[in-house]
Amino acid sequence: MPDSFAVEVKDLSFAYGKDPALKKVSLRIRSGERFGIIGPSGAGKSTLLLHLNGILSGDGEVKIDGLPVTKKSLPEIRRKVGLVFQNPDDQLFNPTVEEDVAFGPLNLGLSREEAGTRVRETLKQMNLEGFENKASHHLSYGEQKRVALATVLAMQPELVAFDEPFSNLDPAMVKHLIEIIESLDATVILVSQQILPVMACCHRLAILKEGQVIGVGTPTELAADRGRLKECGLDVGFFCSICKKLNL
Amino acid sequence: MKHDYLDKYSSLDSVLHKLDPRTKIVCLFSAVIVVISEPRGETTAFLFYYLILAALLLASRIPVSFLLKRCLIASPFILMAALMLPVSFLLGGESASGNLNIGVFVFSLSILLKAYAAIFLLVLLTSTDKFHRLLKGMRRMHLPNILTMMSALMYRYIFIINDERLKTNRARDSRSPGRFRSGCIKVYGNQTAKIFLRSWKRAQTVYQSMLSRGFKGDFPEFFRLQFKLPDMVFAVIMLVCFVVVRVFI
Repeated sequence: MPDSFAVEVKDLSFAYGKDPALKKVSLRIRSGERFGIIGPSGAGKSTLLLHLNGILSGDGEVKIDGLPVTKKSLPEIRRKVGLVFQNPDDQLFNPTVEEDVAFGPLNLGLSREEAGTRVRETLKQMNLEGFENKASHHLSYGEQKRVALATVLAMQPELVAFDEPFSNLDPAMVKHLIEIIESLDATVILVSQQILPVMACCHRLAILKEGQVIGVGTPTELAADRGRLKECGLDVGFFCSICKKLNL
Repeated sequence: MKHDYLDKYSSLDSVLHKLDPRTKIVCLFSAVIVVISEPRGETTAFLFYYLILAALLLASRIPVSFLLKRCLIASPFILMAALMLPVSFLLGGESASGNLNIGVFVFSLSILLKAYAAIFLLVLLTSTDKFHRLLKGMRRMHLPNILTMMSALMYRYIFIINDERLKTNRARDSRSPGRFRSGCIKVYGNQTAKIFLRSWKRAQTVYQSMLSRGFKGDFPEFFRLQFKLPDMVFAVIMLVCFVVVRVFI
């Protein structure tokens, strides 16, 4: 794996009013890496994600591909970083799928023809051909999730950050989404409470608790540290015992 | 959840559906103006107007029942407006002086005919094209961008707010066996507040999602509308028909 860093976060702190959400968080994510951020509810995972795209701005330093996230660099940062929100309804606000997918490329300054090509390519990649003129509120939840991802991929970002990508999905859809994530030619950050799918597809993971990074390692290393996972409410031993009981 | 209430027949394949939305907006709004500009008490001309409307309905392939249902929704308001005059005559005691004659009822009838014709035309407009295409047409006609953008977002999120309403309804009903008694209004009030709070929170996330995809305060246009020969032909025929009825009948 190359040694250049796609994301560098140094001593990042952020508070919602008086409630601290992030406390001196430091992280480094390599280019091309699939990196998971796990932690209990309210740990600050989504808040951290919003800093990568410059939507939130806290104290400390955030660099994307060596470029500091500042007001001046926002257009370039938003070209590089794509955010896939937890609820696809929040991401799909245009009347049709086609226009939603074209929204990002057009904002990048692409012509209608270039944006159209990107729309077709991305919808094909997501197995969504024929959905161009459908309204997003007429789609199933799984289809909406794929369209939401397509809206981001059409911008061809170097880094794709997912917020709770596996929530409300059936097992088949989780498997399909993991395959899509693994096929992406970009650095990927996954923020989730569902530890098993994240462990299945990430090279490294960080555990976030109460706004602080309390551990970084490979899935195998973190899975071996049951005590720490238990402490954060992330112990998967319970699921393993069910699988054993069912002879799975 | 699936919703097809607003644009149920907008995907049909008819002459009217194929027209540029700008043609329909201009023609149908002009027709509304022509119809409502008929003099007080005029009823004969409406026979011809309704014949033209029937021809339009036939061309659009929209079921009559759908149109009637839509008209029914507006009926309480139309009837109230139409009956206002005779009722005011009766309540004002002017009938006693012999003023409540057939002319008052003809006047009410003409209000009814005008109102239903206008509703008919508007239902035809909104049912023969997708709402977003109509908005695009309005935008191309230089209506304020903020107005069309707000309408587009409202159209999109009305379904989400409705979903929130259904969810909170289910939550309420699942914990309230039998009928509501005391505190009923308070429950509805709390529910409404909850829906508003959720909508506000959602609006924030939507805005963040727009920013993350490079939103700079303006919606980029993805497709172009095309004004073709059939649009021109339709506009001329329709406007001539309405103006002829208005002027000569």
